[in-house]
Amino acid sequence: MGLKSGGLERKSKAATEIPSSSMADIAFLLLIFFMVSTVFQSDKNRQIEWANAEATEKMDEKQKDILNVWVESNGAVYINDLERTMDEVSDVVYPVFVGNPSLKISIRSDRNVAYNYIDQLQKELVSAGALKVVFATELEKSMTRQRR
Amino acid sequence: MAVLGNKKSKVSDEIPSSSMADIAFLLLIFFLVTTTFPKDKGLSLVLPEESEQIEVSQKNILHIIVNPDGRVVVRYGDSPQEQTVPADNLRSIWRQGVSENPNLIASVKTHPDASYRFMIDVLDALKAAGSNRISLGLLEG
Repeated sequence: MGLKSGGLERKSKAATEIPSSSMADIAFLLLIFFMVSTVFQSDKNRQIEWANAEATEKMDEKQKDILNVWVESNGAVYINDLERTMDEVSDVVYPVFVGNPSLKISIRSDRNVAYNYIDQLQKELVSAGALKVVFATELEKSMTRQRR
Repeated sequence: MAVLGNKKSKVSDEIPSSSMADIAFLLLIFFLVTTTFPKDKGLSLVLPEESEQIEVSQKNILHIIVNPDGRVVVRYGDSPQEQTVPADNLRSIWRQGVSENPNLIASVKTHPDASYRFMIDVLDALKAAGSNRISLGLLEG
């Protein structure tokens, strides 16, 4: 047996193939690792009550083309999780708008805020050149409106 | 040898596990494809440019005034006649107005102390009626 051909031609018993049975496990492991470690960039949700509108339409813009401007019920304005005074808004929005002319401003305002603040905000946006705005609302069914 | 009642089944009694990974991937890809992230939604509007001042003849304007208590007052351009309407009725008012005058512009003037939602109700009604020529402003005086 082993002495055949002088014992020089030893056949290795180790498999020459890379074991592929655990490949799926490795793939899953990587997948789960990246799923868990991915963070989506988004700003914190503010405590606001949405306004309702029946004509609410979905925005087709990409997320990077949308800048959220939050207005809380006391009139405080937040952009990218930072509180801004009304006068600062145009200074904050302008560089973003220059970097991305297709920018759309999503005005996420509390439904009970005085309109005065919204008007000032619009004037600030106009002076920054950002003219495309969307008043963020929740879709309202006509049935619920009739009950209200 | 072949004894009756002692037949050994050759069918494997284990669940085949070799295709489990395929099934898992299939499910994964299915959910990846069918998942939709909530999109931004709302009423979109294009604001006028800063320098843009267009003279509009009074007869082409539909004045809509939103009061702090939510009352909506409608007045046609040059006529002195005002009428208080529920925000919902603006739809039919706009449709009727635009069929009589295709150049009609809705000018929404909101009182500084009025709630944002009253303005949204008006804007909603106008958008639902298919209007695109809307001007938003502050009620002065």
